[in-house]
Amino acid sequence: MKQYVLRRVALAVPTLFLVSVIVFGLMRLMPGDVATRMVEGHAYAPTIDALRRDLGLDRPVHTQYLEWVQGIVLRADFGQSYWTRQPILDEFVRRFPVTLELALLTILVSVVIGVAVGIVSAIRQDTVTDYVGRTLAILALSVPYFGLAVLVVVLPSIYFRWTPVYTYVPFTVDPLENLKILTVPALVFGVTRAGPIMRIMRSALLDVLRQDFIRTAWSKGLGERTIVLRHALKNAMIPVITLVGLQMPLYIGGSVIIESIFRLPGVGLFFFEALTRLDYPVVQSVNLIIAALVVGLNLAIDVTYAFLDPRIRYR
Amino acid sequence: MPSSTPASGTGNAGAALGTGLAAAGTRLDVRVLPRSRAWYWDVWVQMLRQKPLGTTGALIVVVMLAAAVLADVVAPYGFSQTSLRERLQGASTAHWLGTDQLGRDVLTRLLYGARVSLYVGFGAVALGSLIATAVGILSAYFGGRGDLLVQRGVDAWMAFPGLLLLMSIMSLIGPGVWNITLVLGVAFGIQNSRVVRGVALSIKEHTYVEGARAVGAGHGRVAVSHILPNVLPTIIVVATTGLSTVILTEASLSFLGLGVPPPFPTWGGMLSLAGLDHMYQAPWLAVWPAVALSLAVFGFNMLGDALRDLLDPRLKGG
Repeated sequence: MKQYVLRRVALAVPTLFLVSVIVFGLMRLMPGDVATRMVEGHAYAPTIDALRRDLGLDRPVHTQYLEWVQGIVLRADFGQSYWTRQPILDEFVRRFPVTLELALLTILVSVVIGVAVGIVSAIRQDTVTDYVGRTLAILALSVPYFGLAVLVVVLPSIYFRWTPVYTYVPFTVDPLENLKILTVPALVFGVTRAGPIMRIMRSALLDVLRQDFIRTAWSKGLGERTIVLRHALKNAMIPVITLVGLQMPLYIGGSVIIESIFRLPGVGLFFFEALTRLDYPVVQSVNLIIAALVVGLNLAIDVTYAFLDPRIRYR
Repeated sequence: MPSSTPASGTGNAGAALGTGLAAAGTRLDVRVLPRSRAWYWDVWVQMLRQKPLGTTGALIVVVMLAAAVLADVVAPYGFSQTSLRERLQGASTAHWLGTDQLGRDVLTRLLYGARVSLYVGFGAVALGSLIATAVGILSAYFGGRGDLLVQRGVDAWMAFPGLLLLMSIMSLIGPGVWNITLVLGVAFGIQNSRVVRGVALSIKEHTYVEGARAVGAGHGRVAVSHILPNVLPTIIVVATTGLSTVILTEASLSFLGLGVPPPFPTWGGMLSLAGLDHMYQAPWLAVWPAVALSLAVFGFNMLGDALRDLLDPRLKGG
């Protein structure tokens, strides 16, 4: 077990190294010059050369890369924004709770809907209820979340004079107000992500319900509710958890769009704004931090399995 | 009686064959079996018979293809034909689905949008499938150190939340139809090379591969004429199910202004943040592109699911 965890951690290191090379390489090899734009559009420095020297862009690429990685590894310093000169990590930490809360609420919404519909669909297999549930899941898969989000922002404001709240309040300041703001984005995003969860829940539960221990439970005279909720559900949840873990990148990627539609000051919006201003250090560091989080999360999920399910054996 | 002619014809042939065999006595029974359909026809017949949702999906895809190909003929206006006097008009006989903030016909733009979506979708998936096939088969077939290196690269690529990385790349090389097709294609290829590699690995272990090597076939020949045909069903499935994802991703990027630049209409671009202010006056600007996009994704999803069930039971999912 311990060995397994250690080996997985060791494997994550080269992955993260490659991630940093890819993201850094992309930023330097691609066309598009931030210095020109900063000098010509916004007069950040007298000449382009002066600015390039100031930002450290005049040095060889590998020196820049080493400096970036060294800062991260030795001092947890992810560099500064070109435009604001603020440390990136501070801004990331400040904004991360918004994105995390949005992601957690979204997962909550999609899991609650997906699992509930999945259970009903499975225990009423091949009835009208099942077909309705499956059709809903397919529809949820097909509607693009940003399309739904735009409709939710636009249509109620025309027909019901209702608009989402745009001024963000942190959870620590006013929990109720904060939840009010995040509920609508989380619902919109969560509903569109419930489809795959419902489908996998249904097939996993159907699988479990056909196993011997469920027949034993029936023959003991237990009620359907106990059998499904206490015996079968626990076993059927493993693929659902795997799916949620695998979809984490989707939740984070989608947050860029959801945050920009609902004007939430999260990491997604930070990233998008940096991107439109060619703020390389921000773009590459945010990419790296999030990739590291994803790698770490997948690692944590895999390790959790080893604890949860002793049947899973690792070489 | 015209209908009896073919029946009696086959009857005669059967009788002739029967007597021939009887005369031959103990010779091997070589009756001619009815020719079975080629697998690529059989899939569609089976779909019509067993998969109502898949058939619906295929129909939607065909309609979309028709809209894309015939956009020039069917569309009532030009896609960038503005008419400032007719800005933000609702549905009418002149403009079935209304007009946008520049007086452009929404229906026309939806039809041309299908074209751009499909160009990008098919282009990216075709390019991606090529990359996935080449990388997957080579990586599986030759294995060893190269395989390990390539797979760690794929790992690293998959660690990124896809959209963030694609956004970064698109903002650097700039929006454009070619750029987005290229970027989505490469991304699709890298991701799915994993799937192809997995299948190729299992096929590589079959005895006929060993047999082909033993009779002196070169590596290239084994890879192309023994492994590739067996990986092909998987590639078709991956490509069809991938189309909806690629179309959605293109729409997301265009939505953010990083995909296909104006004036080319795309469904994602028509929904985009930039036009949000006008949508409060003209909700149809938001509704129709969303409907078109959902329909297209629905169609490709259903078609892909049905094809997967029919072609590759191993990949069957929930």
